[in-house]
Amino acid sequence: MPGHKRVAVMSPQTRLAHSRRRLRGRWRVPKLDPVGAERAAELYRRQRTLAVAPLVVLFVGILGLPLVFALFPGLDELRVLGVPVSWLALALLPYPALTALAAWHLRRAEDAEDLE
Amino acid sequence: MDARIWALAGISLVTVATFYLGYRSSRTASTTQDFLVARRTVRSRRNAAAVSGEYLSAASFLGVAGLVLKDGADALWYPVGFTAGYLALMLFVAAPLRRSGAYTLPDFCEARLGSRALRGLAAAFVVFIGILYVVPQLQAAGLAVSNILPIPTWVGSLVVTVVVIVNVFGGGMRAITLVQAFQYWLKLFAIAAPTLVLCMLFIGGGGLRGGHVTGLSEPLPPVFTEHTTLRIETPVLLEVEDTVNLVANGVVDGDKVSGSAYWTPLGSPYEVDVGTELHFYEGSAVPVVVGAPITNDLWLAPSTSGSDLVTTYSLMLALFLGTMGLPHVLVRFYTNPDGRAARRTTLHVLMLLGLFYLFPILLGALSRLYVPELLVTGSTDAAVLKLPTRIAPGLLGEILGAVLTAGAFAAFLSTSSGLVVSVSGVLSTDVLRGRVRDFRFATAIAGGAPLALAIVLRPSDISLSVGMSFALAASTFCPVLLLGVWWRKLTWVGAAVGMVVGGGLVLASLVLNTISDFTGRWAPAILGQPALITVPIAFLTVIVVSKATPARMPADLAQIRLRMHAPDGLGFVRDRAVARFGTPEERARMTDGRHRR
Repeated sequence: MPGHKRVAVMSPQTRLAHSRRRLRGRWRVPKLDPVGAERAAELYRRQRTLAVAPLVVLFVGILGLPLVFALFPGLDELRVLGVPVSWLALALLPYPALTALAAWHLRRAEDAEDLE
Repeated sequence: MDARIWALAGISLVTVATFYLGYRSSRTASTTQDFLVARRTVRSRRNAAAVSGEYLSAASFLGVAGLVLKDGADALWYPVGFTAGYLALMLFVAAPLRRSGAYTLPDFCEARLGSRALRGLAAAFVVFIGILYVVPQLQAAGLAVSNILPIPTWVGSLVVTVVVIVNVFGGGMRAITLVQAFQYWLKLFAIAAPTLVLCMLFIGGGGLRGGHVTGLSEPLPPVFTEHTTLRIETPVLLEVEDTVNLVANGVVDGDKVSGSAYWTPLGSPYEVDVGTELHFYEGSAVPVVVGAPITNDLWLAPSTSGSDLVTTYSLMLALFLGTMGLPHVLVRFYTNPDGRAARRTTLHVLMLLGLFYLFPILLGALSRLYVPELLVTGSTDAAVLKLPTRIAPGLLGEILGAVLTAGAFAAFLSTSSGLVVSVSGVLSTDVLRGRVRDFRFATAIAGGAPLALAIVLRPSDISLSVGMSFALAASTFCPVLLLGVWWRKLTWVGAAVGMVVGGGLVLASLVLNTISDFTGRWAPAILGQPALITVPIAFLTVIVVSKATPARMPADLAQIRLRMHAPDGLGFVRDRAVARFGTPEERARMTDGRHRR
């Protein structure tokens, strides 16, 4: 129904307070209490440390594969069920590996957050 | 004609389903927060399907198979890179980004670095990258539709734009989320079912069918499976491995030719002009576009030379870091309820993408056997759509083709709707005032402007290679995000200069590369994939300039940083979107005042 807007009933004081808050629109960073802040700082360092291992594994895998192919051209001759090993290594292997890496990191990252 | 009717039916079904789902989920959308971030209520699995649905664009659905057809083993890096980008996102960005409480990428920049100027610059880059991405989607949709019906290409682009705008208009992010999640599963079905049927037919039909095709590991070029007449639509340079007997009508190597011709390895490459018709005989070797592997054994083996290795690494770096710089991907992570859900989303995305990419690779390998003529015209993206009728002539092939066409159409729809939402979110909050009607107005612009560009520009004018657009994202937003989350001393001046330098370098190499294509290909290969140079330079610039301007660090830095890394349990999820667009009640609930609760 047009022109039929619902209005919240409130005391004049509340209305005044609300309209003031609306004017003062700037977003302020909410504060953490000292204990929370300390925990957050510790978590920041911990998450950074945790991310290093998966990153190294990933880099070794991704930078390593082209090198492996370059160093051992014989891999192309090697077949599993008629498919060259290099294709298996590029088309099948990376996706489960990436998922496993992600699942591993997820668990560690969430465990770190859950610690008491 | 039958095949066209099937394909048209497929496209119509996808369109109707998209409309319906969008309409259904728009009914609950009424506030700015619904339109911007779906009220942050999207659970990780639904969001992961939506992210994957949006991410698997035509480049993935059609392009990966085409790349595999042309480049073989080297093309397998593309899907690996597309997927690995999400691991980087998970490791470094997803949770802190969501916890920052921002609602767009420019808003994150302002929240972290406290600068309106940087916010404006980031908004400009989001709009630029967004439009650069949408235009090829619309053009490809136009081409796909004009292949089915005898209508001009702009009709298809218009249809996609209208469907997207209507959906986004109705419910913004709220409407798009369900649509994109649905479209992921639709695309998975649309590529998995035909691939499995075609593979079964291929294996059941005795594999390589005697002497008709070249085995994929033989040191010979692929051969035509039937008499083939091709019309060259864009000028190409062709190479042959063995003498090829053909009939050519048109312009070859600048000379007018008409009648039978012999192409020899000594004479190659042959420069074939637009409008030339080439007729090849059954069983003769297929010439390929210069730069692609000629024989099947070269195609099968990963390239091992040094310069190829550098290009591969450069591509991997662009894909790996570019994913986290794509605004339309990032905006989906703002819709999760908390940082933990955002992190889980990436895990699901990795699974969904890995599942999907198996199929285009299989299709690409099959098309090397059955549609090698695409190697001559260079339009390898058509491989997926042409393959079914070649392997299974008759009704089955037509239906499979229609399913694949419908999947491709879903890819155009989902990717462009994600891009339109992210661009209009930025336009409505940074240029306009951010009310729902502003968002709707911005949607009309974010959809209409790319449509106009798509119609005016020729497809080759703007379509950046996939690698290039990822390089652009990796050189602009990636350094700001990574350093913004993990480096204390970042300043807005450093971020701004880094974005301009990184983006400028990528665009410069794009221009140089285009010029060199017209003037004898003098540019080194790295210019075609510059991420290996531009990304480190962008990072360095950000760091050096930030160190030089330590006074510009935001005053409440410690608080901002801690909040990004505080676990959800500390009760932070205080939302910048609520602070700016929420009702007085919602905002009262999140302030720290005496009257809290």
